[in-house]
Amino acid sequence: MSEPVTIKVDGKEFEVRPGELLIKAAEDHGTYIPRFCWHNRMKPVGMCRMCLVEVDTGRGPMMVTACTNEVVDGMTVDTQNEAVQKAQEAVLEFLLANHPLDCPVCDKGGECPLQDQAMAYGPGESRFVEIKRTFEKPIPISELVLLDRERCILCARCTRFSEEISGDPLIEFQDRGNKTEVNTFPDHPFSSYFSGNTVQICPVGALTAKPYRFRARPWDLHMVESSSFFDTAHPRLSIHVSQNEILRLVGIDSEPVNHSWLSDKDRFGFEHVRSENRLDTPLVRRGGELEPVSWSEALDMVGNRLGLIVEESGGDSIAVIGGASGTNEDAYALSRFARTVLQTNNVDATMGEGPSAHFLAASIDRGLIADVDDADTVLVWGPDLKETHPTLYLRVRRAAQELGVNLVVIHPRVTGLDDRATATLRYRPGGGHELLSDLSDGSHEQVTSLISGKVVAIVGQASLADDPGLAESVAAFVREKAGTPRIIPLANRANIYGALDMGLAPDLLPGRVAYGPEAAPEPWGEIPAKRGLDTPGMLDALSEEKIRAVLLVGADPVGNSHEPELASDALDLAEYVVSIDTFLNDSNHYADVILPAAGFSEKDGTITNLEGRVQKVNKIIPAPGQGRPDWSILDDLSTVMGKSMGLGSPETIAKEVAAVAPAYQGISWDLLEWDARDGAVVPLDGEQPLTHIPVRAKGTKAPSAELLLHQGRVMYDDGVRLRNCHYLSRLAPGPVAHIHPDEAKRLGAREGVAVRVVTSKGEGEFAARIDEGTPEGVVFVPLHQPGAARLGTDPVVRVTVVT
Amino acid sequence: MSMWSQETQNRAKEIISRYPEKRSAVMPLLYLAMAEEGHLTDEGMEEVADWVDLTPAQVRSVASFYTMYKRERTGQYLVSCCTSISCMLLGGDDVLHAIEDESGVPHGETDAEGLLSVEHVECIGACGGAVAVQVNYELIEGVTPEKARELVRWLKKARPESVNTDEMQELFGGVKSFDWGIKEEDAAVGPYPAFQPLGTIKSAGDS
Repeated sequence: MSEPVTIKVDGKEFEVRPGELLIKAAEDHGTYIPRFCWHNRMKPVGMCRMCLVEVDTGRGPMMVTACTNEVVDGMTVDTQNEAVQKAQEAVLEFLLANHPLDCPVCDKGGECPLQDQAMAYGPGESRFVEIKRTFEKPIPISELVLLDRERCILCARCTRFSEEISGDPLIEFQDRGNKTEVNTFPDHPFSSYFSGNTVQICPVGALTAKPYRFRARPWDLHMVESSSFFDTAHPRLSIHVSQNEILRLVGIDSEPVNHSWLSDKDRFGFEHVRSENRLDTPLVRRGGELEPVSWSEALDMVGNRLGLIVEESGGDSIAVIGGASGTNEDAYALSRFARTVLQTNNVDATMGEGPSAHFLAASIDRGLIADVDDADTVLVWGPDLKETHPTLYLRVRRAAQELGVNLVVIHPRVTGLDDRATATLRYRPGGGHELLSDLSDGSHEQVTSLISGKVVAIVGQASLADDPGLAESVAAFVREKAGTPRIIPLANRANIYGALDMGLAPDLLPGRVAYGPEAAPEPWGEIPAKRGLDTPGMLDALSEEKIRAVLLVGADPVGNSHEPELASDALDLAEYVVSIDTFLNDSNHYADVILPAAGFSEKDGTITNLEGRVQKVNKIIPAPGQGRPDWSILDDLSTVMGKSMGLGSPETIAKEVAAVAPAYQGISWDLLEWDARDGAVVPLDGEQPLTHIPVRAKGTKAPSAELLLHQGRVMYDDGVRLRNCHYLSRLAPGPVAHIHPDEAKRLGAREGVAVRVVTSKGEGEFAARIDEGTPEGVVFVPLHQPGAARLGTDPVVRVTVVT
Repeated sequence: MSMWSQETQNRAKEIISRYPEKRSAVMPLLYLAMAEEGHLTDEGMEEVADWVDLTPAQVRSVASFYTMYKRERTGQYLVSCCTSISCMLLGGDDVLHAIEDESGVPHGETDAEGLLSVEHVECIGACGGAVAVQVNYELIEGVTPEKARELVRWLKKARPESVNTDEMQELFGGVKSFDWGIKEEDAAVGPYPAFQPLGTIKSAGDS
């Protein structure tokens, strides 16, 4: 590190890092210089001129923009002398020359940087008498964002965001001079997964989000900090509420996680919370119909029945599926309830997807999101991060684009990061292990040579055709090659990492402890010794009628299954099904009792993200009707069943977790609310209670068929929460099949025509999408699309044009 | 799948190969798109975007910034009259009015036949030879209102396949800013600059 330099701002002297921008250095030391275009997380442009200050570096005073000038030793700066004030007044007079005075009907009114700074630094009146420019208003630039061009002050924040940060520059300045405007290309909407961020950073009311437009005034809102339940990186955000209704979410600048950015799913996905389809009362199936009952009746019914089944057939006859959608406190309660009250080890929050629970929860050298910033190479061999892990996507993109980090992307088709990759490799769906052996044998030298030095390996299941264990094998390969890489194992589902840390897998106990009867936490007492089943195992056991009862907790095994008939037949055979959930879904269709759960923003607690960072999430609105948090439902059930857990409150659960879960020692709500607002990575002392060393597995080859099916998750799908979002539900691509232009020619398919896709496990009609990003010999079908047939995991596929 | 002719595609490849970054070729390729279709269409800009790996919005941002990229149909001859300071002082406005009057085409418009477009432009770098006029960006210096009328009549009557700066200077020009040196043999074939890599040029040797 080079020596700090001394600068003097408005008579105050302080030391700052050399090379820092003056505007940032001054702000960090208590002097706010007004600005519109400059944003802490983007490169400066000096467009708005609002940050003019008088600087003297020994050559006499001159007026410069504080956002484009770096500090130098001995610099003296005046941010408010007469000349600067005059400059600020002039800049504002010009900015307001065309800006409408529609603040009373503008959504930004009350929290508008232009409004505020015009009051603080403006001349108070204008010499311009000319007619202001007007535009057709508002114009939709995407499904989610509206643009009122006459309000725009051309700061280029939104256009820079789209080019520098999100990598989809679909909005740009158009025309010139007095006619300059921000706009899209005709019929090429700003269909970015990150469009909502432009609304957040717009310093005027030019960009507004449809879900918030004309809904509230900032002074009507109250707010609380929390984290998103969609992206497993858990980007930090603030929930803004009026009259018990969430009106918007705003990203918080958390250095280790999301730099203030949110994907549109994380930003607008809150709409499901107020959906009229939310479950709001306990329901019991009587004569095939669901009837509302009181909580006491429902809990008695469920407790007695489950108790009877445990007594008659033992805990092994009960399956517990889910638990990744709640808080850590909910997950802990479920883990304890399953092991001690139900006496079963059949618990699985992963739903049988992705890498093994041990690898996800306790991989050696677990990486942090921020590790990608100073890596030599980032290897991404997993899902398309842009589609499934947007926070990580933005961070990796920035590392490759701005920080000079080498990026290697290995995926069956083009991904959102490929345009910034140093090297990319494609492989046939199901052929991951083959490629891995080739790489170990020394082929693809230009790729393998990059895997050295400080490597971050981001691994997960890239294609449904891939063996879920491939991710772990990749991690093992990188360890062979590069010593001690940082490993980030990827999984989906809101709080899956927290659920696993709380022991919601057959082979784990709370706090990253390998399962064993002797390892039971002290307050738990005796726990069953028999090894439990994972989700596929439980479904098999159900089919064989070895399991009598199922407890689904925020879980939809039918909706998630690639062969839904297997799951639905299994649930159909179950004698008794209880579901704790926020919505009706494809699985609790089979439930005998459905208990309404509290969801996002309706309960306090903690959650753990993909790097093992524990963050506090907060309640700000009540759950609809009689909805209750999972932990409290389970606590009452335990009482009915005569084995009361006595959990008390989520905070007492958090204290119990800190006491009994080794990895969570030292974690308290107090810490997370004050000293560690950005969250704390567990274990705090770095001493992993359980270390899983990735193992290289022997894999199979890709089938030799000419055409193979690649299925992967995309941002918008038919998930029950998304389905209940007014705006986001329209964004799912639906049943589509991506085909390379040459492949399409062979098949005789054109853009949009119906094609029939047939596999050994399913078939259905899909609309053809001609796509150069999908290699020849591969058909790409986005997973879980509304109205789309399920095709199973076998990649051998036949495609014909429907005539 | 390109909608351009094979020849234009070859030219695009050749131009792109001159730059270390594809996107640097955006401006010459916009002229190619104009030459291909006569003016710059949305489809033309999308095509350019495909060639240089930019988004259509970025390409349109460039295209709409510069006035020489015509996004509306232009006549076979684009007559541009300079009205910036030097030309204005020496009667640029009179020359413009003469052109407008003789052609019947006001500034910024094109005649019904699609033969002539007229525009006044900012400085075209010929202040020493004011008043300066261009036909398809081929320069004529020292133009008077009378000569301007002759120029318009000639374009309408002769309808030359291409226009050449030296030839027109001789016929319609006056005082030149400096000695232009050896004769320029090449001629412009449409309302875009004559430039070899763009193929918008008719050489003296061509038949």
